[in-house]
This record gives sequence, structure tokens and C-alpha cells, in this order.
Amino acid sequence: MDTMSLLMQGFAVALTPESIMFAVIGAILGTLIGALPGLGPANGVAILIPLAFSLGLSPTSSLILLTSVYAGAMYGGRISSILLNIPGDEPAMMTCLDGYPMALKGKAAEALAISAIASFIGSFIATIGLVILAPILAKFALRFGPSEYFALFALAFATLGGITGKNQFKTLMAAAIGLMIATVGIDISTGVQRFTFNTLELFEGVDFIIAIVGLFAISELLFFLERHAGDGLKQVAINKLKLSAKDIIKVLPASFRGAVLGFVAGVLPGAGASLGSFISYTLEKRVSDKGEFGKGDPRGVAAPEAGNNGAASGALVPMLTLGVPGSGTTAVLLAMLISLNISPGPMLFQQNADLVWGVIAAMFVGNLVLLLLNIPMVGIFVKLLSIPPKYLMPIVTLIASVGIYSVSHSALDLYFMIGFGVLGYIFRKIDIPLVPIILGMLLGPEMEKSLRHALVLSDGDWTVLFNSGLSIGLWTVAILGLVLPMIVGPIVRAKMSKSKEAVKDV
Amino acid sequence: MRINDRVFGMLMLILAVGYGWEATQFPIPFGGQESVGPETFPIMLAIILGISSIYMIVRPDQDEKWAPAAMLIELSVVVLSMLAFAWAIEPIGFMPAAALVVSFLSWRMGASIAKSIITGVTSSVVIFFLFNNVLELALPLGLLEF
Repeated sequence: MDTMSLLMQGFAVALTPESIMFAVIGAILGTLIGALPGLGPANGVAILIPLAFSLGLSPTSSLILLTSVYAGAMYGGRISSILLNIPGDEPAMMTCLDGYPMALKGKAAEALAISAIASFIGSFIATIGLVILAPILAKFALRFGPSEYFALFALAFATLGGITGKNQFKTLMAAAIGLMIATVGIDISTGVQRFTFNTLELFEGVDFIIAIVGLFAISELLFFLERHAGDGLKQVAINKLKLSAKDIIKVLPASFRGAVLGFVAGVLPGAGASLGSFISYTLEKRVSDKGEFGKGDPRGVAAPEAGNNGAASGALVPMLTLGVPGSGTTAVLLAMLISLNISPGPMLFQQNADLVWGVIAAMFVGNLVLLLLNIPMVGIFVKLLSIPPKYLMPIVTLIASVGIYSVSHSALDLYFMIGFGVLGYIFRKIDIPLVPIILGMLLGPEMEKSLRHALVLSDGDWTVLFNSGLSIGLWTVAILGLVLPMIVGPIVRAKMSKSKEAVKDV
Repeated sequence: MRINDRVFGMLMLILAVGYGWEATQFPIPFGGQESVGPETFPIMLAIILGISSIYMIVRPDQDEKWAPAAMLIELSVVVLSMLAFAWAIEPIGFMPAAALVVSFLSWRMGASIAKSIITGVTSSVVIFFLFNNVLELALPLGLLEF
């Protein structure tokens, strides 16, 4: 099969000593980033982009590094869920439900080991899914013309809030702000200056990496300061691991179901990892109702973990094949691709085949590394987790600043970064989501280009945007994605918080 | 209270109008007017931003609490300290600037003065050598240059 031989070539790239080294470094960094509460995968990857950039890594190495960080962060998220009852990132929330009670019962080590195995199964199955689905989708996407692309971009923004999105107008507003920032600079097709106010520094537009680091990392620091969260939280002590083969076999079906559901949720626009782990958990509860869900059932740990890791890999499918990310972290990975001058989308699979397949193969390698890393070395990560944020956050901020500074050695970039940090703080206070802003900055130029192509081809006739079956379909999904959450959202959110409440009562 | 959304919506509405107006003032590109120019997309965005900010003004969400004034002042001081750090990297040098800002931040986050100074000095020296010698990204030495 064609895919198989491409994948084998990918392994030839991924198994070089250099690639393995980057996969290992990425896995360790990623687990750390995921484990530290408040750092989150999007934030962590964002901080590392300028570093990878100024180190002059090759595109393949940078991507292998950052996808391993991404995968590692999903593994790491579970550590703080289980030991602190605080999810390291949003999708890890469902792992708290049974993970923390297990830890309270003195089975923290078992919970960590089971979740590591489930994470591995989730990622592994979803990566296989990615191998099968991505080339098909890429081939299909070759049929997209400019008006279909424009509809697709609109769909990406409309579904970004996800089923659980609170205020759709705020998502829309955030997207508009992001797209507006993207229009600053010299217009690519006519050379007209737009919104530059004749400032030389603005001619090239606003660098989205600076914006991302500012919006995520700096605003997070301000929030930590405000909440006086500098001391960190008390964690459950970890016990000696007593895990038999029987225990592992018992959670296998739950993991497989979770993995498949998670993958599907990851691929679909607007679902994402949070929903993936939520669905996996609820289904598992229904399928095997004899267990003690919510009180420390191992299957309640395995299912959502497999689900969120599956969704994380699934989310790479639309990002790589269509150039349309479905989540904050994949948006940041897209930023990486764009700044490396690789345009994602269907052509990626033809023009940069060895890069794509190398990265996919590296995901298999990285997963294995993560599994091996996470079972024996979990103690080390736990130790690092106990470093209070009051020492850690300032250092993280420093590393983020150094990264930004070393890209172009200008203090002006740092001023911009801090400015975006303050903006991010205000946006978060008003509940304006940050991810659509970033996505807007990333997709803005492409989106405008497809609109112009479509309109130039039709000689200014706007109906061209809706005149193929495909684009009408995309617009329908986009509108549904925007309207449905207003109806379904409150119900799903109520259910999620209800299951969270139930745990607190235990 | 629902004042946050109203005020912010108002500001965004002003931005939308200003941005849209600015877009109509673009000079006509070389080669004459076409059916779609550099202003088409920005005008669309201005309309979307306008609609969503009007919605925010009309149907605002419940406010999230702002920090008390004292905390807001403290946050501003922190932001200023970071700006000062950004300014100081070149004239003063990376290590002293970073040591100061990291110590300050970690002190403000609740660490004792002695421990925050240790954190600041150690982290800035380690990061400096890591970047300069291992990763080979030059950071300015500043005053320490001789």
C-alpha cells in the first residue's frame, strides 16, 4: 500500500538519532508542561516556538520536538489531576473524577500507571487513525476552490467555541479582533499600507508568535499574582506501585473505547479533547455500570485519559490536511508551521511528504518514549510538581522573554509581548476567548486571499461563495456550529459540572 | 453587575467604526480600482465586530470580579517591572536585569526576600550560560562586559 511505504520512509526519518533525541527532549518537556498547573499545552508549546526558531532547527526537527511536547503535555495533565485534583489542562478534568479518589485511597501510583497505559493506547490508536484518515482527507481537500476554503475558514471560527462554548458572540468578536490584527501591515497583493500609521515597525504586520506568548504566558502570570496562587497546593503522597497484569487487562476495553471515541471527537470540528474525554467517561460509566465510578474506579481513569489523548492526535488531522486547527494547541502548532514557511493544507502531503510522514512516525516513537518515561520516572515529575509556582512562574516568564528576545534581538518585541499580556488579562476578565484571536491572526492572510481569489474569478459576484454543493455544506455546518451551542451548550455544561459536583461530595 | 461587557462592547464598537472608516480611506492601489480591493475584507471584519459589540452592549454577561484597586496597582507595578526588564537587557545586560525581575516577581508572588533573590540570581545565571554556551544564542552581557 502507498500509505505503508510512505510511513516506512517516515520511520526512516524518525529513527535517526537526532530525531529520537528531539522526541525524548520534547516528551520530557511536554510532560513537565502538562503537569504544572496553569501552564497548559498551548502555553508551553508557544513558549518553545521562538526557541526552536532561533536555534535554527530544521523544520522536521522542530516539528518533531513540538509534537512530542504536545503529546507529552497530554500525558502530564493527568499527574496533577490525580495528585492535586486540579486538572493541568481542561481535557484532564474528567480524570480528576476517579483519579483523585483513587489517590486518596492510597492507590496514587496505580492510578498514574493505569492512566499512562490508557494515554498510550489512546494516542497509539488515534495515530493509526491519523495515518488512515489524513491522506484520504487531503486527497478530498484538493477539490476545494477558493470559495470552499473561505467557507472552511468561517467554519473553523464558528465551531471553535465548541459545543460547550458559552457566548458565541464573544467567540465571533475574538475572531474578528484576531483577523483585524492580521490585516495590519502591507497588503500582499496590492502593496497598499493598511493600519500602519506610517510606522516602520508595523509594515511587516504583527508577529503572531509574540502575540501568542504574550496572550498566554504573560496573562497567566498576572492571574497567578492576582489569585495569590504562589504557594501551590497540597498533593496526595505517592505509594509503592502494585499493579498486576490482571488490573491492566481489566482496563483495556475501557481504554480502547475511549481511544476511538476520543479520536472521532478530535477530528470533528468544534468537539475537541474536552468533549472527547467527557464522552468517553460517560459512555464507560453506562457500559460498565457495576463499577464504582466517581469513587476511584480504575476504568474511570482509563477511559477519559484514552479519550483525551485520542482527541489530541485526532485534532492533528484537520490541522495537517486542511490547515484548519480545531483547538488552541493545534493552532499554536499551526503557528509553528507558518513561521517555518510551510503552508499546511492538502498540498502539504504532496510537497512535504517526508516531513509529514516523519512527524507522524515520530508520534509513534514519542508515544513509546512517553510510556517508558512515565511509568518508572513518574516520581521525578511528581517532585517537580511540588515546586511552588512562586519560584516557577517567574522563571517560566523569563524563559518566554528570552525566547522572544532571541528571535530578532529587539526590546521592541518584548514591549509588544508585554502589551499583549495585558490585553490577554483584560480579555480573560471579560470572558473573551483567546484562541479565536490567535487563530484569526494565523488564518487571516489565507482567509482574505481566498475571498479575493473567489471574488476576482467571479468578477465581484458575491454569490460565488455559495454556488457549489460543497461550500453550501460547509456554510451549513458553520451556521449550525454557531447556533447549536446556544441551545445544547447549557445542557452539556450543566451535566459536566454535575458530575464534578458529585465527586466533591464523596 | 453587568457593566464590564457594556463598557468593553462600547470600546469595541468605537474600534469597529474607526477601523472600518480607516479602511475606506485606503489609497486606490496602483493599477486602478478592482471589484475587490484591500478594503473589502477589513470592511467585512468591521461589520462583524460591530454586530458582536452591539450584542454585548444589549445583552451583557454577568461580570467577573475585578481585583481590588490595591491588586490592580500591584499588577501594574509588575507590568512596569517587566517593561523595565525589556528596556534594561541591552544597556545593563541580561544577567543583572533578569536577576532583578525574577527576584521581584517571585517576591511579589509570596516568596521570602532571601529565597526570591536566590531564585532570581541562580535562574538568570543558569539561563545565561545555557543560552550562550550550550544553545549558542548570544545574550547581551551589558555592564559585565570587559
